[in-house]
Amino acid sequence: MGFVIYPAIDIVNGKCVRLHQGDYDQEKIYNEDPVSQAIQFASEGAQWIHVVDLDAARTGNPENRKIISRIASAVSIPVQTGGGVRSIDSAKALFDSGVERVVVGTAAVENPTLIEDIASLEHRVAVGLDGRKGLIATRGWKDATSIQVAELARQFEDSGVDAVIVTEIERDGTLLGPDVSGLKKVLTTTHLEVIASGGVGSLDDVETLLNLKAENRILGGVIIGKSLYERRVDLVSAIKVCEQFHESKGNHEIH
Amino acid sequence: MPTIAVLDYGIGNLRSAQKALERAGANAVLTSDVAVIERADGVVLPGVGNFGKCIEALRTTGIDRMALDAIESGRPFLGICIGMQLLFEQSEESPNHRGLGVFPGEVRKLPKNVKHPQMQWNSIHVCNPTPILEGLDGKWLYFVHSYAADLSAENEIVAATCDYGDTVVAAVQLDNVFATQFHPEKSSDAGKDFLINFVTACKGI
Repeated sequence: MGFVIYPAIDIVNGKCVRLHQGDYDQEKIYNEDPVSQAIQFASEGAQWIHVVDLDAARTGNPENRKIISRIASAVSIPVQTGGGVRSIDSAKALFDSGVERVVVGTAAVENPTLIEDIASLEHRVAVGLDGRKGLIATRGWKDATSIQVAELARQFEDSGVDAVIVTEIERDGTLLGPDVSGLKKVLTTTHLEVIASGGVGSLDDVETLLNLKAENRILGGVIIGKSLYERRVDLVSAIKVCEQFHESKGNHEIH
Repeated sequence: MPTIAVLDYGIGNLRSAQKALERAGANAVLTSDVAVIERADGVVLPGVGNFGKCIEALRTTGIDRMALDAIESGRPFLGICIGMQLLFEQSEESPNHRGLGVFPGEVRKLPKNVKHPQMQWNSIHVCNPTPILEGLDGKWLYFVHSYAADLSAENEIVAATCDYGDTVVAAVQLDNVFATQFHPEKSSDAGKDFLINFVTACKGI
């Protein structure tokens, strides 16, 4: 099935939070128990869950790995997770705890062979390309680089990754709408599956992304966080919109 | 509550399979203990990664023999993903290894015109109605695989298919042996319905 809604669970200090534009000082706690949040998303029909260990993203240490492991065995859907995956060992530990796919961000920029090493484990890996105005940012989004998001996406084409997850930091946690032109640029530049992240504030935004097309390809899905927690988007309705889209187009769209 | 032995031969995380079976109403045990496997009402053979590595791990641990004995006993047996592929005679993925040969035929690479692996939710078509696939026709299930059972070999054991570049085998059944290319333990409610059907079959003994 083409376009997937990935409800997001970001964890700080064992709790389910959202940040504003990646700023750790602007944190809001939405659920004390990320595991119960995951179970709720799954019961609402989610096909995947996207989990980020924000503590690990900042420190590189697997602060919340036990919780991620509990999420993976508590739900009967695949879980992808990112945050602080900077070595083959941290990726292995996550796979061993039942994670289906890891997302590598910072380390993909600093150590490109890591992606190929993880892919060779016969597990799934995606690259998280987090940018500010189209330029890559690393280390929990603190450090800026001069690397173009779309250009970096192209570099991973033959590395064995499933997808690139493109986050526009200035939209993330703002509910102001996704960076459609930036996403279109990435979709045009790479043949990889592109998953959007950041800025979704309404069901209209979901439909905009669902209908975004470049080079006859559509996005692989969207990660939605704050708008679910703030009840701007209802997960059940968003999933339904995607199902109706796929039914109307047939199920033969290949990324 | 039936006891189901999930064969643990050192191939990564099996907890999601165990927990999903528990949620489907079974007492699920991860085990490599022959006594536990012999007493179980049903047996599950999971598998991840590579056909050759999995079959080697099965043989090294002696669990290949335990699996074949369980099948021989007539109790319900379920292979999942690579666990399904291992039940065939061989796989194009590892031409130097022989499979368990419970199902006739071979495992081959997915069609060339589509992305490998198939990693997505896909709907299945039940072509050979059987109690274990009750309620599953047209349902969406989670797949992640680059190889699949060859459709041409033995059509009568093929119970369900999906479309991925071509018609791809999604589930097979031969007497008491069931197998799915999809992951019921990661397929939400439809996967749970399937596992409930399997648990029900395990109660029948």
